[in-house]
Amino acid sequence: MKELIKYSLHDYIRSHRYFPPVSAFFILVFVYYTYTSNPVIDSYALTAVTLYVISAWICISVLALDPPVQKQLMLLHVKGSNRYYIAKFISVWLISLILAVYAFLYPVVFNLFNEPVTFTIGVISFMNHMLLATLGISVASIFSNSLMKNLINSYGGLALLIVISIAALGIYDVLPASFKNIVWVIPPAIGTQQSLTNWSGESILHLSIVPFIWVIIYSLILLYVFLRLVKRF
Amino acid sequence: MNRLVELEHISKAYANKSILHDVSFTIFKNQVTAILGGNGAGKSTILRIVAGLERPSSGKITYFSKGLKIGYIPERFPKHLRFTPGEYLSYVGKVSGIPDAELKKTIAHFLQRFQLDKWNRQRIMNLSKGNIQKVGIIQAILQTPELLILDEPVSGLDLHAQKELLAVIKELKEQGTSILLTYHESTVFKPIIETAYYLDKGFIAKADLTKREPIKLLEVKQIDESRVKQWDEVLYTERKADRLLLYVHVEHSDRILFRVLQLKGSIDRVITIDHTEKFNNKYI
Repeated sequence: MKELIKYSLHDYIRSHRYFPPVSAFFILVFVYYTYTSNPVIDSYALTAVTLYVISAWICISVLALDPPVQKQLMLLHVKGSNRYYIAKFISVWLISLILAVYAFLYPVVFNLFNEPVTFTIGVISFMNHMLLATLGISVASIFSNSLMKNLINSYGGLALLIVISIAALGIYDVLPASFKNIVWVIPPAIGTQQSLTNWSGESILHLSIVPFIWVIIYSLILLYVFLRLVKRF
Repeated sequence: MNRLVELEHISKAYANKSILHDVSFTIFKNQVTAILGGNGAGKSTILRIVAGLERPSSGKITYFSKGLKIGYIPERFPKHLRFTPGEYLSYVGKVSGIPDAELKKTIAHFLQRFQLDKWNRQRIMNLSKGNIQKVGIIQAILQTPELLILDEPVSGLDLHAQKELLAVIKELKEQGTSILLTYHESTVFKPIIETAYYLDKGFIAKADLTKREPIKLLEVKQIDESRVKQWDEVLYTERKADRLLLYVHVEHSDRILFRVLQLKGSIDRVITIDHTEKFNNKYI
């Protein structure tokens, strides 16, 4: 597994395909903090949602990296698709981890907040970054070229679903009462943000953790569905 | 003979286009099996199904060895890889579970043997077609496979590499490896083939490579292909641009030429072919 992850990261770095999403993330975080001073929880919630989009972008490009024949050869060498794809997901997750560290440390190092970052807020916010990165990875996997051969369906479908997931609260408000439950199938990218912005930050007991658990469950379900479906292709 | 892989009534279709029809054959342990046939006959599809890279639309495939180690040399090894041959082979070896020390030695040995060592600083994407194919060969034999599958492996290879590949196949066979290969132009593998099947438009038939009846190849123009296909004497037809290639037994060639002229067709050339493996078991 370690070698597969190294292979995947090595190939991705050499392809230079990381440059658009990674540079976009660096620039966006820089722009978010142009004005000071910023509230800690809200600012971190915003960078976490940005990381959700960027992780999805990175994931779809990492999964498209191997040409079809190369993918077949690697699947043959690793004896099964699960190890191959899990290694790809871990590679994306590691890149997202670096981006999350940047998003977390940049405002702290340059003193861009209007209050100190407490340990509890820091841990929860960092965790939120990684959870939304995982969600982005799982959503992108379903739209990757491993399952969708048509590029327009793949990239277009992912972009549309990401926009819908970010606008989920607005969609919920305008839907008639009998259709409101449909929001549950939309990726829960915005649920944790709502929970965080309603949190005072004083005690973890005051934080609604259900949206965080739902992100974990939702991501795991999507990754499981992907690993099952990809065996049929 | 011990069976290694058995295909029973395999069919394959892509988006309603049928590629293989009811294909059944057996690959025996320590045997060299060849699948012969023209372009688009379905040879590569069979190989990918045997390798487990594709699922048949129907039929059954049985592996008689648990966790069968398969080496697969694709017809076209990916040409845009961003690694040097050494880096790529090292990753492939490591993910296959070959111990580090053994892997380094094996890679160095094969790079030298296939004269790739001097290209080892270049990325695969910058190598020539033949050298890329050599990397494709080495990745399949790094770990001695139980079944080596070669899809048109000599395409783009120089004579030295072809001979080296043949030598490697013989060595692997001595070590107990079974070989499944396809080709349609090269004759380099002929001496080692033990069982051959001929595939035509997705149908398979056993071929007898020992029969060597002389065949005439008639290249004709301005003739209706559907009419020609009704003539029993014609073993096989191929279309090449505006020419129609007709393969017939020598004793029938005059009769066929006469019919072509009767239909106001023109004759470009007539050649005698000295090997007939693809025709003497034409699918019926």
